[in-house]
Amino acid sequence: MPISKVLIANRGEIALRVILACQELGIETVLTTSEADRDSLPARVADRAICIGPARSTESYLNHRSIVAAALGAGADAVHPGYGFLAESPDLADACVAEGLTFVGPTADHMRQMGNKIQARLLAKAAGVPTLSGSERIGSPEEAIAIAERVGFPVILKAAAGGGGRGMKVVNHAGNLAQTFTSAAAEAGAAFGDPTLYIERFIRNARHIEVQVLGDRFGTVVHVGERDCSLQRRHQKVVEEAPAPRIAEDLRAEIRHAAVKLARNIGYENAGTVEFIYDEDEKRFYFLEMNTRIQVEHPVSETITGIDLVQEQFRIAEGLPLRVGQADIVLRGHAIECRINAESPRAGFRPNAGVIERWEPPVGPNIRVDTHCYTGYRVPVFYDSLLAKLIVYGSTRAEAIERMRRSLDRFVVTGVDTTIPFLRFMMERDEFANGAMTTHLIDDVLPQFIGQSQ
Amino acid sequence: MSNDLTSLTEDHVRQLGRIIGTLEQSTFDFLQLEVGDLKVTIGKGNVPVPVPDAAAAMPPRLAVSSVASTSAPPPQVEPAPAPTPSESPPPTAGSVEITSPIMGMFYTRPEPGAATFVTVGESVEEDSTVGLVEVMKTFNAVSAGVRGKIVEVCAPDAQLVEYGQVLFRVAQG
Repeated sequence: MPISKVLIANRGEIALRVILACQELGIETVLTTSEADRDSLPARVADRAICIGPARSTESYLNHRSIVAAALGAGADAVHPGYGFLAESPDLADACVAEGLTFVGPTADHMRQMGNKIQARLLAKAAGVPTLSGSERIGSPEEAIAIAERVGFPVILKAAAGGGGRGMKVVNHAGNLAQTFTSAAAEAGAAFGDPTLYIERFIRNARHIEVQVLGDRFGTVVHVGERDCSLQRRHQKVVEEAPAPRIAEDLRAEIRHAAVKLARNIGYENAGTVEFIYDEDEKRFYFLEMNTRIQVEHPVSETITGIDLVQEQFRIAEGLPLRVGQADIVLRGHAIECRINAESPRAGFRPNAGVIERWEPPVGPNIRVDTHCYTGYRVPVFYDSLLAKLIVYGSTRAEAIERMRRSLDRFVVTGVDTTIPFLRFMMERDEFANGAMTTHLIDDVLPQFIGQSQ
Repeated sequence: MSNDLTSLTEDHVRQLGRIIGTLEQSTFDFLQLEVGDLKVTIGKGNVPVPVPDAAAAMPPRLAVSSVASTSAPPPQVEPAPAPTPSESPPPTAGSVEITSPIMGMFYTRPEPGAATFVTVGESVEEDSTVGLVEVMKTFNAVSAGVRGKIVEVCAPDAQLVEYGQVLFRVAQG
């Protein structure tokens, strides 16, 4: 069914990103905002903005009933959830379907299947995708110890309802396992409403590799290349790039194939990302989780393929077959994305809100900035700290790194502290230049950054 | 809050904690308790205007509109065929706004064909119901929250209203 008017249930740069995609597709846009975002850039660019509640996201962006009511009231025929907030909420997807609205994303069933990380592991296994040795649901600390001894320490305890780096604890010795198990279960119960835990072998020198997939209603699934998101801080991605450097092409092809196999096996529809952990020492990869949404870092895949993933989301949701076959998707050159956050890297990355006094993003060939910020914009205190994504393209990785360095140098932001100085520092590191990143690299080099900047 | 906090026992504090927890989970904005001399008001956001009897389920947020409204006006929505009153008088100084406590479909009458809850010139009490806002088939009564005379109906019947949108103007008194 063609979509003529979509309600965008998000804020910030991704709201603007989706609005711009819709303008090109000739789809009218309705944006739901909180009171804090009434005058935001996406609210002004959308054809219509509707304030659905106060600043607190639980009473606005996380209220799926208000979102569906706004869509119906505004005469929208579809809802795009962006990322975060309700993007992976089966309740929103179900409510949309019940009211005859097209949900621009996967089905509620796909979200449920992949939302429970234990079930996701089983689905990966069933598809023949490698998973880490570990457990299914663990019932007691004693059981946890027995499994950990079989798998071998260190192990990582994860919340079944967690994901996205939340609700995880590494345990090095059997001695601390029982205690950690109890506290992790309590924390998971409080944070996710489900205390269920499972165990996986912990990989010390790990890289985070993920594969962008697109699936249509007719069972066709393609990949749009892999991304390396190893530069993380507290399990949150900081720098992403595509393709993944320093992994042999045949192994990368194997990873991409595994992702497609899993998505195809569950009849996955729309854009999704299959995440893997890559063991840098053993050169092997294992399934981590699948994200059933468009992701923050999708632009790097767009940049090296020329595919507009958000526009594809709309075509798929309209029930059209994929426009491109796997053979049409050519990975060309190298793209890097840096997340510019309103955080003080020298103060433990403390988020800081306030008015942006000067906002001068870099311009030039092969530079893309996805942002909702401008000079005079007040960064609200209620939401995440992402201000912009700086994406550069180069025909080689070295060229892309050089372009990123120079672009960061020209990126002027005053009024609020940003992560730009830290990103600039990372771009200068030999480990990054050599592609020798692991998920603990940032923690390893952070003291040097802090020392150097004092 | 009472100024007599010293009379609160540990047990009182514990009970209050539980009430706050319950309020957090609920859709109510505030809660007023009176036990003997002790009067406690717990709420989220703005301090509610005093409500005479039982607390209204959905207290409207009130904004005194002097010349310049303090809160940013809702952005101009798509020109819906809104039957805006032809004479749109500048809000009289001292008049107060009744704003929508939630986003949803606004109804000026209890059911189609029925008389409107209020009309211009009609007097309202704080707890008078002035309209309904529907969210996914749940109807929320909007109370005036103020005593006075309706001077303007600002939102048309059966149209989507935003959170905080002005529904009525009332001359206080």
